Amino acid sequence: MTEKKEGTKPETPMDARIVSKEDLIAALTALAQDHTVIAPVDDRTGAVFAPTQDAAAVRLEYRNTSLSPKAAVFPQIETLLAFQDGVATETLPEPPETVLFGARPCDARALAMLDRVFQRDGIDDPYVAARRDRLTVIALACDEPGPACFCTSVGGAPDDHTGADVLATDLGEALLMRPVTERGEALLAALDGARPAEAGEIEAAQERSAAAAEKIGRVPVPSEPARLLEAFDSEIWAEIAAGCLGCGACTYACPTCHCFDLTDEHKRGTGRRVRSWDTCALPLFTLHASGHNPRPSTDARLRQRVLHKFAYGPETIDEMLCVGCGRCVSVCPSGIDLRRILARLDGCIAGGGPG
Amino acid sequence: MTEASERRTDAQGDWEPRIAAFLCNWCSYAGADLAGVSRIQYPPNVRVIRVPCSGRINPLFLVKALQSGMDGVLVSGCHPGDCHYISGNLYARRKFALMKSLLEYVGIEPGRVHFSWVSAAEGVRFAELLHTVIESVRELGPAERMVRRVEAMP
Amino acid sequence: MTVQEQLRHRAAELLADGTIDLFVGYAASDAPLKAAVHVARTAADAEMLTWNSFCAPNVAALLPKLLRRPDGAGEDWAPQRVGILAKGCVSRSIVGLIKAHQIPREAVHVIGVGCDGVVDRHRAARLFTPAAILDAEPLDGDRMLLRGTDGAERTVDLSEILLGSCLDCQHRNAVLADETIGDPVPETGPGPQEDAATSFAARPIDERWEAFEEEISRCIRCYACREACPNCYCTECFAEETEPHWIGVTTDPSDLMLFHLGRAFHQAGRCVDCGACVAACPMGIDLRLLTHKVNRDVEALFGGEASVSLDIVEPLLQFEMTDDEGFITEP
Repeated sequence: MTEKKEGTKPETPMDARIVSKEDLIAALTALAQDHTVIAPVDDRTGAVFAPTQDAAAVRLEYRNTSLSPKAAVFPQIETLLAFQDGVATETLPEPPETVLFGARPCDARALAMLDRVFQRDGIDDPYVAARRDRLTVIALACDEPGPACFCTSVGGAPDDHTGADVLATDLGEALLMRPVTERGEALLAALDGARPAEAGEIEAAQERSAAAAEKIGRVPVPSEPARLLEAFDSEIWAEIAAGCLGCGACTYACPTCHCFDLTDEHKRGTGRRVRSWDTCALPLFTLHASGHNPRPSTDARLRQRVLHKFAYGPETIDEMLCVGCGRCVSVCPSGIDLRRILARLDGCIAGGGPG
Repeated sequence: MTEASERRTDAQGDWEPRIAAFLCNWCSYAGADLAGVSRIQYPPNVRVIRVPCSGRINPLFLVKALQSGMDGVLVSGCHPGDCHYISGNLYARRKFALMKSLLEYVGIEPGRVHFSWVSAAEGVRFAELLHTVIESVRELGPAERMVRRVEAMP
Repeated sequence: MTVQEQLRHRAAELLADGTIDLFVGYAASDAPLKAAVHVARTAADAEMLTWNSFCAPNVAALLPKLLRRPDGAGEDWAPQRVGILAKGCVSRSIVGLIKAHQIPREAVHVIGVGCDGVVDRHRAARLFTPAAILDAEPLDGDRMLLRGTDGAERTVDLSEILLGSCLDCQHRNAVLADETIGDPVPETGPGPQEDAATSFAARPIDERWEAFEEEISRCIRCYACREACPNCYCTECFAEETEPHWIGVTTDPSDLMLFHLGRAFHQAGRCVDCGACVAACPMGIDLRLLTHKVNRDVEALFGGEASVSLDIVEPLLQFEMTDDEGFITEP
């Protein structure tokens, strides 16, 4: 079982600030003058992260959005290079300074994981880096878990600050805002109306998050990811994936899914190379030109998704590529539930090998 | 690069409608050819795409043409009952009726999407049809709605 | 015995006596308002089958996958016999798949059941936004108690949260079945609050374009709608072809529109309006805006409804010499 991460250790009281909600709206409005502010706003699906000029439209009461905010660093569609008459030009983004406000700690943590996916030995994605370097993340701690949340089982917490520059907690009338990085400190220092937080306020925030953590259901997660591979040839996958439509909704909603496709679009020698989100859920993902498909069934593709998160992630970035946000569970039309899959796998492995 | 920036203009630089015409080989294309050899004048706004039969036409051709920046689309085949392949145009008729209705429903101006029957003997009729179609599109101005704006992408 | 109990009993019997190798239906999930798609292979699996108003997916979508020839042409159908629980729309999808030669009739054993409609989770969720729904409890008198993550509770009539397809439904009992369980239900639904396609069509053309573009711009090209649809059985979808390259992969509005116009059009004469696409869409797009229009046009122009009988040829696979020509341009 992965060790449950402790909540944020309290900063010394003089670092944490209290900002009233009115001052917060004013601050976001001011930021929107020379920044792009991405925040949760109303949507028919609940709330959605969108660039917003109108700070009064920002929602603090949502559980979580159906799509993650990963598009802030890894947009769904991105032009990588443009070409004309045989000459190609890299089209690196020059994003404006951007503030992502209101990302839940699971989503902020996912951004930190994406950092490590796109920047590690021999891999240095300049497109993701360009956006990440201009991004300030103000995470918003959770005081109520969503129906499918399980962050505490995968090393997260309702007030985890990994990946955030500032961690905010809603105390009702005001937000407690704790700087995590220098960038976050700079933002708070410039925030009109922010006053130093008192020890009692910091404690109140911690209590809220601890109470939230208590409500989150626990899910057995493999402590030795490599053991999952023992179940690779098990018939358990056919059983788990029986209802899977292979629709891919889970991969699009997921904050850590990062697979992409490259497509050249051109007309008479002029065009561009586009990177777009791709999904391992579709057969086309691994289809060979010969017609052979190494993952010919939904069983194999669902297995791939689970192993990528829980076995290959630890191999490549020393971390499970899952933050327990529960979106895959909420969004799946077939009712496939990753929590049940993990419990099933736990039983399979604990029982001494492939089921 | 933008599809829409390659608008057809005349010698004075004014916009001219650009229309894709899908013509069946045996009737409508032959009718167009007859108009040509008979020296019947008609405006040059039409790009002809020859298909074996109107039944071959995939409704996606129409949407794709609009996406590429064509201001209008014309589909023409043999008169029902005269199809070289007996019934191709009869299946097509059903598809076309649905497509015309669907495109208008979503807001594509009906004056941009035309279906017609022209036989191999109807050179004059073909030219008249083109006049009608071109003027219908001219009245609507350059097509904006389905056009793919490539330069707007990040 | 309740219908659910009959279902579990029959499925277990059919599995035990070898009539079928699998049974496709629904089971309870841990997510509110949503049943899981369930494939039962044993009597123990069959005990988990459920039948209630959370059973939104169209399980016929699994049939081609389960019965299709394995990779490698020339082989016969997979040697399986599959049982399936079929509400009206699911049975129509099965009819459509048989007619399209995507599944052999003899490989399916259909248990028909009457359906009073299934819940649209998005519609229900809108009653609680920005909070989420925590759980749902059916009450007597076709009502449901919903509890939100914000502590709020609401009791609603089922008709307030049914899928639009269910409100419009004209075939609530199975049109094709090897056996049925439960009593037949009234054939038609309560009727729509408004006919979405007609009221949309009544708007001025410029407004329609804006509304359509706005609605379809929500699409993230995840293809959940396509995968949830039993009629989308093509092994290569036009949206993914590169030879020819019909549409880009992007979320450019014109790409989104081309995909949805194409998909809706491809359904012409085949869509049974089951609402599975709407239920599957993570962005809550009203896909029926298009499919309902196409269905209404097919009915009006060519008569009949999709897939109610194995003996009727699909409307787009036939023609009449008297077919409508009102759309023709005369010079």
